[in-house]
Amino acid sequence: MTGIYLAGGFGLSALLFFNRNKIIRYLLITTFLLLQIGFTVYEYLHPGTTELTYFSADSLAILLLVTLTIISIPAFYHSYVYLSSKQDNPKHTAIYYASMAALLTAINAAYLSNNIAVTWIFVELTTLAASALIYHRRNNRSLEGTWKYVFVCAISITLVFIGILFLSFSLPQAGTDDLSFNNLLKKASRLNVFWLRLAFIFIFTGFTAKLGLVPMYTAGIDAKDKAPSPAGALLSSVLMNVGFVGIFRFYIVIANSPIHSWANHVILIAAMLSIFVATVYMTRVKNIKRMFAYSSIEHAGIIMLGLVAGGVGYYAAILHVILHAFVKSSLFFQQGQIYRIYQSKSIYDVGNYFKYNLTGAIVMLLAFFFATAMPPSGLFISEFMIFRSLFEANYLWILIVVMLLLTVIIWAFGKNIFKLLFTPAVDFKEDNIERINPAESISQFILLGLVVYLGLNPPQEFITLIQEAIKNLPQ
Amino acid sequence: MISLILIILASLFFSGIIIRTKSIASGRKGPGIFQPLKDVIRLFKKGSVYSKTTSFIFQIAPSIYFASIIMAIMVIPLGEYKGIISFEGDFVFFAYVLGVGKFFSIISALDTGSSFEGMGASREALFSMFAEPAFFILMGSFTLLTGHTSFQEIFASLHFGSYISYILWILATVVLVMITMVENSRMPFDDPKTHLELTMVHEVMILDNSGFDLGLILYGTSLKFAMYGALIANLFMGSFPLYITIPLFFGMQMLFAIAVGLLESFTARFRMNHNAQYILTLSSVSLLIFLGVLLILGQFS
Amino acid sequence: MTNVLLIIFAITLLYLGIAHRLLTYIKILALQGVLLFGIAFIELIEINAANLTFVLLETIVIKGIAIPLFLNYVMKRNRITRDAEPFLPNFVSLIIITLIIIATFILSNAIDDSRISKIYFVVALSTLFTGLYIIVTRHKIITHVMGYLIIENGVFILSLALGNEMPALVNLGILLDVFASVFLLGIFVNRVGDVLKDVDVDQLKSLKD
Repeated sequence: MTGIYLAGGFGLSALLFFNRNKIIRYLLITTFLLLQIGFTVYEYLHPGTTELTYFSADSLAILLLVTLTIISIPAFYHSYVYLSSKQDNPKHTAIYYASMAALLTAINAAYLSNNIAVTWIFVELTTLAASALIYHRRNNRSLEGTWKYVFVCAISITLVFIGILFLSFSLPQAGTDDLSFNNLLKKASRLNVFWLRLAFIFIFTGFTAKLGLVPMYTAGIDAKDKAPSPAGALLSSVLMNVGFVGIFRFYIVIANSPIHSWANHVILIAAMLSIFVATVYMTRVKNIKRMFAYSSIEHAGIIMLGLVAGGVGYYAAILHVILHAFVKSSLFFQQGQIYRIYQSKSIYDVGNYFKYNLTGAIVMLLAFFFATAMPPSGLFISEFMIFRSLFEANYLWILIVVMLLLTVIIWAFGKNIFKLLFTPAVDFKEDNIERINPAESISQFILLGLVVYLGLNPPQEFITLIQEAIKNLPQ
Repeated sequence: MISLILIILASLFFSGIIIRTKSIASGRKGPGIFQPLKDVIRLFKKGSVYSKTTSFIFQIAPSIYFASIIMAIMVIPLGEYKGIISFEGDFVFFAYVLGVGKFFSIISALDTGSSFEGMGASREALFSMFAEPAFFILMGSFTLLTGHTSFQEIFASLHFGSYISYILWILATVVLVMITMVENSRMPFDDPKTHLELTMVHEVMILDNSGFDLGLILYGTSLKFAMYGALIANLFMGSFPLYITIPLFFGMQMLFAIAVGLLESFTARFRMNHNAQYILTLSSVSLLIFLGVLLILGQFS
Repeated sequence: MTNVLLIIFAITLLYLGIAHRLLTYIKILALQGVLLFGIAFIELIEINAANLTFVLLETIVIKGIAIPLFLNYVMKRNRITRDAEPFLPNFVSLIIITLIIIATFILSNAIDDSRISKIYFVVALSTLFTGLYIIVTRHKIITHVMGYLIIENGVFILSLALGNEMPALVNLGILLDVFASVFLLGIFVNRVGDVLKDVDVDQLKSLKD
């Protein structure tokens, strides 16, 4: 099935690239979505199978696959709304849809791959596809954003490759040359420690470009800012999860090796710096999309803190990954509507959102509460568990600093959102505003509802899957 | 002893060959090979004019310069025959006795009170400063490779086996040739034929000298060339018997002179701002030679 | 023999530090491609023939010929001026690159694995850091791409150190190379030249907070 999916996904992407007919395009997209849903259902029903020797559906992959499918449906829908509200340039539209399909296929393959080299190949492909999406508007600034994204991601991919090389230097001591995660896990305690350290640093630094941590987070900020909103939603939810998968699977190997506590310190420094950077920039940023992007960095930092803390933090980290994907994507989908009303992304030009788009404003308000982890958001549950795990692991000072920084973030985020929602806009002409159909906000309500549901009353299968995903970490 | 005689013999025609090569390369016939020597003899017969702003330094500097060159020549061996002076660590003595000569020529240039000469002197000092690490690292690598610290012993026991030693040898030759060009103020670091004081380095330092002093300085240049040529020839000589080494020596000197002439004819001088970095490149390349020697020895201390 | 080629490779790094013109950079990249061809040929002689031909073809054709030609084309098409426009004078660059080589040499002594030849490690890491240094200290966007290509050459050398035992890694390295050349060069520098009139990094400063 994986082979069929990959061939089908990339094939549909190629067809979308060459097609210029509207009806066929919608047909192709529906086929792609059906293929995606069918593939997810298949993998869900056949957990643990390995196909094509490199793709195995372990529980983490299944969780993220389901998340991706749930998010991809509104992504395509909002892309359709976004593109139909502008003049139709068939070539650009074709490239947009083709790259979106290719991006989703590559991300799926990266989730499923069980070999670090194959993950690396597909992460490379996601860079290619994502940059085509970012460049969609084809003006100077989006070119700049695309160039920065491509360049930083190219350097990061090279760093990951160097890490893989160092990893292979560490293998001969354990008498193997297979780079699959299962094999690495089995031989973890016998790998050469010196090379393993170097490998970890390089692989971790490389993947921070996708996940959004210090030091390579800069790629993502400009990318999410310049990409059209539905694409930005994908970039900040499922693409971040690819970075997480890359780091997490390698972290499991490291956690069973002698350098576990050293690696924890490295990740701790990166996570703390990320939250700090996010705080500093959130207080100063004036562009709504950049604010969302920096909020993603903050959440990535919190996820990593959960990994570092251990214990219940492992469970909380994975829960946070999934819930954050839902919240962030709904924020970006809503941003598309905001842009259509105000024609601007700057905080100065927006205001009084309740008057112009009631459903959208309610979504925004709820999403703000959920993103800043206030109850009843599921993110509250996961962040609470992470704080508890930090406390239990005796990282008390870290906990205090993080909570202070998060408070500042809530203030900065809230200041901007409340300006958007309640304060009247400055110099905003109220004639000619686009009427937004309230039905467009349904997808965001569903996503936010999922966040509450999965946080407060998760189904048993969900809990089992997460526990399966973290079973190899030392408890 | 024998190396001293040979080097003095070689210096008699070295400058002539260079000028002849340059002339032939530009399509002229050029002066005879012994013309520079005849110029020097003519200068020896003249009297000197000393400016009133100079002090005794200006009068004694050319003699000290010449004397330092002669002392440096006495250290150079010829294959397995020692120079007149030979002791452990004599290559350091070699470099610094030349340094004494250079120091005196620099301060005599400053002594004249002319700003042009001061400018030339500062440039000369800068270039020599950058070429010095190159020389020392190179000799250091050879010392490491052979385990001896005196010129004669180093050259006697230098032998080349593996690929990597051949490449180091070629690199060492190139670095030595370039150091020669720096020390003698030739192309591509300094143009001896330039008439503009702003672009001169060494020529401007000797603008005020005349008569016997000028003759000493000009002949000193030839001697220095022959000396460095002997140093480079030593890299190739090893431990052959005398009837091979003497012709080889002269052959190498002629080859070296022709190469210098060709180099001068066909290259332009580097831009003055960039001269420093090209000279520093020599030091970096000699550093690579050093690392290569460490590689050969299998030690990475 | 590979040691000789690697030492020449290190000399090209030094030359990169003092080069003024962009054409010199391109020529150095081509030379590095040829050197890598030689090293790959000698190192990988034992892996199976198809793989070996693929690797050799890639080094000589893509690294040695195609990329320099393409860079040349991009330079002419965007009318990029000859100078490399560094932030720091070339003199300082030379010192820094020399220091990088010394530093990696000292670092390599921390390795006590007898199977990895140290000279590969030293040359690969110095190439990597030199490439990073060039990216950071040059004004023009095209020198960023060249710096990236130099980093790739370094990664290729590193992958050759274990090439005999795991040829798959060398193939992955080549994949990375092809990706970078096709993508970075083929699509972006063209576009960047078209849209931004002046290929200078100062133009890329408008996305700020």
